[in-house]
Amino acid sequence: MTTHTHEVLVVGSGAGGAMAAYTLANEGHKVLMLEAGRNYDPKTETPMFKRNSDAPLMGAGNKDKNFGFYDATVDGGWQVPGEPYTQGSGSEWMWWRARMLGGRTNHWGRYSLRFSQHDFKGKTRDGLGADWPIDYEDLAPWYDKTEDIVGVCGTNTGLDDMPPSAEGVLMPPPKPRVPELLVAAAAKKLGIPAVPMHRAVLTRPKDDRAACFYATPCGHGCSIGAAFQTTTSLIPLAKKTGNLDVITDAMVKQVNVDERGKVTGVTYVDKNTSAEKSLTAKVVILAASACESARIMLNSKSKAHPKGVANSSGQIGRNLMDSTGAYLGALIPTLKNRPRYNEDGHTANHLFIPWWGHKQHEKGELDFPRGYHFEIGSGFGEPGAWVSGDLDGYGAPLKASVREHYGAYVGFALRGEMLPNKHSYMEIDDKVTDKWGIPVAKFHFQWAEHELKQVEHGLKTAKKILENMGAKVGELPPAEKAISRGGQIIHEVGTTRMGSSPKDSVTNQWGQTWDCNNLFVMDAGVFASNPHKNCTLTIMTLAMRNASWLSEQLNKGVI
Amino acid sequence: MSELQRHFMYQPGLSRRDSLKIMGAIIAGTSLATMTGCSGADQIVSGRSAHWPDLTLEPITAKGYGTDPNLVIPPESPWPRTMTPEQLEATAILADIIVPAEGGFPSASKVNVPDVIDEWVSAPYSGQQRDRITILHFLAWINDEATLRFETPFLSLAQTQRMQIIDDIAFRDKVNEKVERPARAFSRLRSLVLSAYFCSREGWQDIGYKGNVAIAGDYPGPTEEANAHLNSALQALGLTAYAYTDA
Repeated sequence: MTTHTHEVLVVGSGAGGAMAAYTLANEGHKVLMLEAGRNYDPKTETPMFKRNSDAPLMGAGNKDKNFGFYDATVDGGWQVPGEPYTQGSGSEWMWWRARMLGGRTNHWGRYSLRFSQHDFKGKTRDGLGADWPIDYEDLAPWYDKTEDIVGVCGTNTGLDDMPPSAEGVLMPPPKPRVPELLVAAAAKKLGIPAVPMHRAVLTRPKDDRAACFYATPCGHGCSIGAAFQTTTSLIPLAKKTGNLDVITDAMVKQVNVDERGKVTGVTYVDKNTSAEKSLTAKVVILAASACESARIMLNSKSKAHPKGVANSSGQIGRNLMDSTGAYLGALIPTLKNRPRYNEDGHTANHLFIPWWGHKQHEKGELDFPRGYHFEIGSGFGEPGAWVSGDLDGYGAPLKASVREHYGAYVGFALRGEMLPNKHSYMEIDDKVTDKWGIPVAKFHFQWAEHELKQVEHGLKTAKKILENMGAKVGELPPAEKAISRGGQIIHEVGTTRMGSSPKDSVTNQWGQTWDCNNLFVMDAGVFASNPHKNCTLTIMTLAMRNASWLSEQLNKGVI
Repeated sequence: MSELQRHFMYQPGLSRRDSLKIMGAIIAGTSLATMTGCSGADQIVSGRSAHWPDLTLEPITAKGYGTDPNLVIPPESPWPRTMTPEQLEATAILADIIVPAEGGFPSASKVNVPDVIDEWVSAPYSGQQRDRITILHFLAWINDEATLRFETPFLSLAQTQRMQIIDDIAFRDKVNEKVERPARAFSRLRSLVLSAYFCSREGWQDIGYKGNVAIAGDYPGPTEEANAHLNSALQALGLTAYAYTDA
């Protein structure tokens, strides 16, 4: 019998890893978390109240900082130095990574929408994709607990796409702003409701986190802890129990197994010394992000697991999905020269348009199978490296034109569900390794007709709403041109999907791999489908539920 | 310093940019000899022929600020600046034509816009490098154009002479085919100047950006005046019956 310093190893410190570690540490289990990036402290590193003019290039993005100078992402973005990925021929996939404690939770959009009953049994309804092995009811109480710890503002709208939170869970949402209110009226004329967004932003204090003070974009990180990130919440809370240790700069390379194929621990590269180190534990939880966890598993080949650990189904890396994305915006004449006031708010959507078409789907009125929502782009934003307006001439009239157009544009960002298809998957590149000597991920990706039809519908709908607002919208681009590139929406899921059978899925409903009872996956890799509602809240909810189940199994001695 | 002196000697900013070393980057300078597509006495006299300089720019070899810069104290001098004093001066003159002092707000050069442009074109990133080619060629073009029209370098022109050139390239309806290229380049410079100006503290006031301040308690939402405007907009669009309600 091996004795371990830690009972559970958690690979990754983002949404899934931090929630798993927090849950297990609270239940008294000794947890060791491994993070591939550096330590990161939002309290001292977040650029609060910084102006674009204080940053190089007025804060504009570039190859070093893709989302702008102040974006919280450390050592990452569409490329990580020294850690490439490759593409299959004809494929174009974009993979956003961060190398920092807290991972992508430090900069994410904080949109936190629950999946609804429709989202778990899509295949039963339309025969496409895969059903989840759970129903909404299985997750509902865990959504409540997760929202409570995370801190989510919003309301129970009563809409079929937005299942209600338990009484008292949600914090009050901020008041809507003028362009959002105009959108709401213009959409309602079409019978489409706009409602408060649910966002992981505190509007009331919680634990030692302050309520939002409505300044500084959440994507910069949040030193006061109002915008949720694991580095100001779950990780420090878990550390307080005395049961969590964290090693940063630890790039996990493989899961180790014994001669019978049972998982014994992991091997990682210490990035400071480039030395390889191995750790043992009773249980390993992978939460390195959908594609990174799949990469680790595919790179963990052994006699007992010739296709990669826990890959008897051959499904690891398959079913790669992102959200669909498209954007349509226009100048709204009636918003020109409108009265100024502070529209920063919580720096993202106060109102949005949830999917309204479930009934139409039931009646078979739509020529695409899955839904989408609209996020609204608008407002008096902080001036940056690009200026809008009808720019002509010079001097006072030119400046007047800029002022006139400021805050007068409205755009709709579509985020929709993609179905899995056989052309979209990742594998290990047999020729390329990263700077640590680890074989890299190779991506294959295609949108299908389902997604293109959905985007076409979305563009037409957005155009109608804009026209109701008095905008002149030109000819719409074809869906093939308008749709985002694979991975660009940064909602990649499905590569280690859960299911009801070891034949066509990698894990059971608990994120426990079918092949190894002490290997779990607790990131978005386990998603059986990719509903349009932004994955992070559900990653955390599943991680809490499944880590709680794991704790029971450990306490019972089953694992 | 008199207004005249300011125009003839732009002073780089005294903020975080003041310690930057100015480095010459032009190998082949701007002169009639380096121009292409310009020949013939008539054209030189009229100064209205199509021409565009052909500069060989020394590549920018500096490194960027990397993938983990200090965000709380942004780098003061992320890369060496490369505009020559003459280029910076021409940029200041153009910036102040684009954004002159008006309405109680300062001109672009008063809020160090030329420094921002210099930092921009000197940056080792692909987008900025494309802009560098555009802007440095434009600065050479305008000097060539000044020489062709007035036999005087741009920096030494009277303001009325400068405006004669600018008036030919600044208005999209007036641009003829001979100046399409400089007009496009001017347009790019115009966008950068406007961005840099409205990023400044004075620019925020000018455009009316009121954010980036901490609010205690709940977000207050639109002001009474903003709500009144919304209501009139809803009415004008026939949307009053569909106005948003909290319920």
